[in-house]
Amino acid sequence: MRITDLEKKTGDFRLHIEDLSIQEGAIHGFVGGNGCGKTTLAKLIMGILPADGGEIDLKNLTPLEMTMTSQRPYLLHMSVYDNIIYPLKIRKSRVDEKRIDEMLGLSGLLDKKNQYARSLSSGERQKVSLIRALIFNPKLIIIDETLSNMDIESVQLFEKMILEMQLKNPVTWIMISHQLAHIYKMCDYVHFFAKGKLVDSGTADEIFLKSQNEIIRSYVETQMIEKRGND
Amino acid sequence: MNQIEEGIEGFFSNIGALDAIRVTFVMAISSTFISAVIGITLGLLLERHDFKGKKVIIRINRTLMGVPPVVIGLMVYLLLMRRGPLGSLSLLFTVQGMILAQTLIITPIVSGMVYSHAARSAPSIRQFARTMGASKWQTNLLMLQEMKHEIYFAIVTGFGRSISEVGAVMLVGGNIKGSTRTMTTAISLLKSQGIFTEGVTLGLILLLMAFILQWMADYFQKEETSDENY
Repeated sequence: MRITDLEKKTGDFRLHIEDLSIQEGAIHGFVGGNGCGKTTLAKLIMGILPADGGEIDLKNLTPLEMTMTSQRPYLLHMSVYDNIIYPLKIRKSRVDEKRIDEMLGLSGLLDKKNQYARSLSSGERQKVSLIRALIFNPKLIIIDETLSNMDIESVQLFEKMILEMQLKNPVTWIMISHQLAHIYKMCDYVHFFAKGKLVDSGTADEIFLKSQNEIIRSYVETQMIEKRGND
Repeated sequence: MNQIEEGIEGFFSNIGALDAIRVTFVMAISSTFISAVIGITLGLLLERHDFKGKKVIIRINRTLMGVPPVVIGLMVYLLLMRRGPLGSLSLLFTVQGMILAQTLIITPIVSGMVYSHAARSAPSIRQFARTMGASKWQTNLLMLQEMKHEIYFAIVTGFGRSISEVGAVMLVGGNIKGSTRTMTTAISLLKSQGIFTEGVTLGLILLLMAFILQWMADYFQKEETSDENY
């Protein structure tokens, strides 16, 4: 996927991405402070927001092959199970009950399979939305802070699940997160954003450990101090 | 026993109660159905599209939601009277004319309520549908599914307004026994004649019927449990 000269203006905020390449089959991390344009860019890629200018070349990816989950995912007024099978239903795909049960079991939600989805806790809602995103095997998955409310065990479980899936059948991932440890562990490439612009792209090592850019160094240091403080 | 039967028979025949019940329900169900189709469509279209003058239309809709029915009744009367613009249709003092008046009263209520809810929830439903790769048709279907409770309440509110309305149906229908007399106009007539017992009885029948209809609607509208689980 290639993004060139992309522009989006919302109020006083202006996103302008001159050139950004997303390598197919790799896990990419979008990192940066609040309001730097990560989510806006993700929404532009998904076609949720219309761009004011520029181009997003999706390389033959269709909307049916892409998905996105957010920090506060939208769950349908249905059961957990009905939420999970929704993308399969609209694609008229076969429902693999065994796989659904396996994923629900792994994430500790099997006993809540028939429960009203909106009665779940925020972490459980994120789990349901992630299972729903994974169940139809899309080629591009964007997760915007979707693991933020999960407990550590669940985060590790999903990280393991994603990495195992990547080994078997690599798809393109874009992970938006402030948890640098998570991004460092999971991502092949990291893209750092500030004030609506792409500051730098590279491997996690190149961005987090070797970057000489002032903004990136300051952000990484602040996040690490905060993490130590929280620990 | 015979006395009770005679009493009931007398009550129903004297004021044409059975016909009033029939007319009331034909009018309320027909006007609610038409208003639901028009109102839901208008409410959703208004939320979906941005255009010049949208705010004015929303304001007019909100004003019409609270307009006194008798004003609508008077307007419809002027439209349908023999020398009026629609006089040739001969709808004055007919059930069809009453349905027209009721539709004009209820449609803004349904469209206003649907718009109000859609403005809050439709953007996130649409965004979700996009992330799932849903087509335009599937997105529209999902919107209706996700907003079914609010749409249902808008329809029930419209029906409640229709079944309880007096002013407009009195003006447009003329309260003709056996033809355009509704339960509410019958109650109004009984009150003016000082016959309170029958008036109250008819009122209780009206209340009971509204309750049964509401109960039936609730039965088909299975509520989800919303136990919080943190």
